[in-house]
Amino acid sequence: MTEILLSAGVVALLFALLAMGVWVAFALFLVGALSLLVFSNAPLGTVLATSTWGASNSWALAALPLFIWMGEILFRSKLSDNLFSGLAPWLTRLPGRLLHVNVFACAVFAAVSGSSAATAATVGKISIPELTKRGYSERMMIGTLAGSATLGLLIPPSIILIVYGVATEQSIARLFVAGVLPGVLLVLLFSGFIVAWALVNRARVPSQEDRTSLAERLRAGRELLPVMLLILGVIGSVYLGIASPTDAAAVGVVIALILAWRSGDLSWTSFRDGLMGAVRTSCMITFILAGAAFLTTAMGFAGIPRMLAAWIGDMGLSANELLVALTIFFVVMGCFLDGISIIVLTTSIIMPIVEQAGIDPIWFGIYLVFVVEMSQITPPVGFNLFVLQSLTGRNILQVAWAALPFFLLMGGAIVILTAVPDLALYLPSLMGR
Amino acid sequence: ESWDMPTPYPDATFHTQNIMQFAEDVKEATDGALEITVHSAGSLFKHPEIKNAVRSRQVPIGEFFLSLLTNENAAFGIDSQPFLATTYEQAEALWRAQAPVVTELLAEQDLMPLYAVAWPPQGLYTKEPVETVEDLKGIKFRSYNAALEKFAQLAGMAPTQVEVPDIPQAFATGRVEAMITSPSTGANSKAWDFVEHYYDIKAWVPKNIVVVNRKAFRALDESVQTAVLNAAKAAESRGWQMSQEETQAKTDMLSENGMEVHQPSEALMQGLKQIGEEMIADWKAEAGPAGERILEAYQAD
Amino acid sequence: MRAILNRLYEVSGLIAAAFLVAICAVVVAQVALNAIDRVAGLLTGSAIGLVIPSYSTFAGLFLAAASFFALPYAFRHGAHIRVSLVLQHIPAGARRGCDILGAAIVTLFSAYFTWYMGVLALESHAFGDVTSGMVPVALWIPQGAMTLGLGVLTIACLDDLVVLLLGGEAAFNAEGQQLLAGRDEGASGSAAGAMGRSTDGGGPMDGDGR
Ligand code: NA
Ligand code: NA
Repeated sequence: MTEILLSAGVVALLFALLAMGVWVAFALFLVGALSLLVFSNAPLGTVLATSTWGASNSWALAALPLFIWMGEILFRSKLSDNLFSGLAPWLTRLPGRLLHVNVFACAVFAAVSGSSAATAATVGKISIPELTKRGYSERMMIGTLAGSATLGLLIPPSIILIVYGVATEQSIARLFVAGVLPGVLLVLLFSGFIVAWALVNRARVPSQEDRTSLAERLRAGRELLPVMLLILGVIGSVYLGIASPTDAAAVGVVIALILAWRSGDLSWTSFRDGLMGAVRTSCMITFILAGAAFLTTAMGFAGIPRMLAAWIGDMGLSANELLVALTIFFVVMGCFLDGISIIVLTTSIIMPIVEQAGIDPIWFGIYLVFVVEMSQITPPVGFNLFVLQSLTGRNILQVAWAALPFFLLMGGAIVILTAVPDLALYLPSLMGR
Repeated sequence: ESWDMPTPYPDATFHTQNIMQFAEDVKEATDGALEITVHSAGSLFKHPEIKNAVRSRQVPIGEFFLSLLTNENAAFGIDSQPFLATTYEQAEALWRAQAPVVTELLAEQDLMPLYAVAWPPQGLYTKEPVETVEDLKGIKFRSYNAALEKFAQLAGMAPTQVEVPDIPQAFATGRVEAMITSPSTGANSKAWDFVEHYYDIKAWVPKNIVVVNRKAFRALDESVQTAVLNAAKAAESRGWQMSQEETQAKTDMLSENGMEVHQPSEALMQGLKQIGEEMIADWKAEAGPAGERILEAYQAD
Repeated sequence: MRAILNRLYEVSGLIAAAFLVAICAVVVAQVALNAIDRVAGLLTGSAIGLVIPSYSTFAGLFLAAASFFALPYAFRHGAHIRVSLVLQHIPAGARRGCDILGAAIVTLFSAYFTWYMGVLALESHAFGDVTSGMVPVALWIPQGAMTLGLGVLTIACLDDLVVLLLGGEAAFNAEGQQLLAGRDEGASGSAAGAMGRSTDGGGPMDGDGR
């Protein structure tokens, strides 16, 4: 019982520090430090340094600042404007119009980026000013971005599926394939929600631009060419076998620079501004990630997540009851820890329980991505919220409130995924020989 | 007393299961006086940090892949030299020769080895069938250290760098066409999804090692120390046994899932062994006194 | 003094930018070599194997250096996010108190962090720790870079703490990015308009404002 009281104390400290306005990364470090002091006798300073060093020199993470830089370059060129003016005539009939661009741009970007933070930062940087300029609802704009950016984790490549696949010895290739249909499901749910919202709130969608003929639409579509080249170049470099998914981020930077230069938008000033902007944003994210990694290590020493997971395991639940219990567990933990940390800390305890309940490990991997995606948009610790707060200057609760419908949609997606497990399992079953 | 023990590999890996049993044995033998909590799959510290975390007493005990330390001293990596020791018997003899030197070297870092367990012998995975070394020419071969890069070059292969999680995709897109790894790693990553042929070439037999911080160990009661050492001894012999069973089981799993499992041709083995000899001659020249001592002891055995 | 300090943060940011460019350069170089190899493979039927040894290790180390050199620069530009919800709704005096307490806490923590990162770098140096993989890189070098970045961050935190105690306005209260700013100014015609007002007064490098 003392452990539960102490855990409550840790959570209270996190809230107090955040409310006082202590920077998120520092708050995570400080809470980790206190947990380590209270729950274990490991030497604080050396663990702090070692854990931070291990989390910071990471090849997998190297793609993050590159993707952010790519977004900064596009943001400073006509390309981002072209993307929206090129798509606008095509979307006039679809209720919600350009809001759908957030969903589809995130889905496309997710195909090259394994993280939702990079997806949110890159797409948001481009779309927020464009949608703002065109008078779209701020809340829907932020909400669609926060929700759709989580596709970065589901549509391959995906950092979280790699972590899960390695920890549980599942085939990463199969997990990636398993994520495709659930990814499509989420896209449909999100777009469907935008349509429904736009039909109910006609007044809040900016007034219709003039109807356009097919010829005009095609002419406008030409403006999309550079962006399509960029997407093709990035994805193509991977499928031609000359770049790994992490390498592709650098390819994206180079293509973006070339396109910006070709369109006459690349000056020394815009280059420098874009680079320094990328330095600031990626520093903000990597420092929070380092804080989260240290908190993960501290929680590993303290054993709190292990203890809670074991407690669920001891309840002797049926498969469906277990899923409900685990979803609650992950959503609550997900408020305070980053999703990857939760998976790292609890797979050892949870996987045997899950397998005993007869749940397919590939299916469970996709389920985990959904709950981790949800944790990305719950306050106070949610990475997509942090990114959007940084982009918009709006408060974290305002951002979280905007993201709430998408949180609920993901909850609905979990129910669908449970009712129709083949959504995740059909495609991988084709791979077996 | 309770000890946290970081290990790099997942729960299902036989090394980790052996460690769980070791922790269990220690608890039983000491009547709970020493409890070891195993943090598997790099959940506490990532693989490259584990040794240094034990050194600086952040944790008292840990496991890592021994030849990860090759760049510190070649003596640590002799078990990853191609075609030096290829059977379990030879690998055990090599460990007998290597252990005293490794013990000395680790003592400089305040570490003491408890035991080491071999991985299954490493096999060759390729997209296309391979009959002779000639067939390897010009294909892209995954190299993750200096020895493998050299091996690739001597075999006329094109070395290429692929991170572990990228392996399936790299094979699918042609960024890599061949790799050497154990049947365990191949089976656990479902190699049949992306590669066709497996050759049991037994290139080398690398080891995982379990080390304890000397100060932390000395702080234990003498009876507990003895219990730990006894459990370690049992874990070592049990682990080598598990490793042999694993080799059979995982190789079977490869063929059951549709991979073509081959015994390599005489010609291929002859060519590969020639490359191995060339490499060990070079290695000896660069390895320094510690490495040389191991090689002499091994060749005398 | 002010000028020297601002220069220090700025140089730190420039070093971080150089490392970010270095990550991109080393990866692009490897991709270019892969492309050449691919073409050679198609023409001659066998690949050459053009590799930048340990390029992924180098990219990871550059990332560590970039992230930590960027810390003070990002801090001064208000890029590190915080939860301002409560602060917005309390009296100015109390807000100031929270800012001072917060700055004091992070100054102490940064100093502690710097010290132990330095200890780690010295230990790596003493034991001769190196990376595994094709090219051995001494670990104390990147760890030393991280220590430097944390050291400058400590100075930046202390700087703001002193300014606050003397009754001034902290640099960390700079507003960061304000992509919605176009909304407050009425819809403007270009992306540049949407970027809105300058983010802070931090010298010639202040990013988003132009
Ligand atoms: Na993705
Ligand atoms: Na959250």
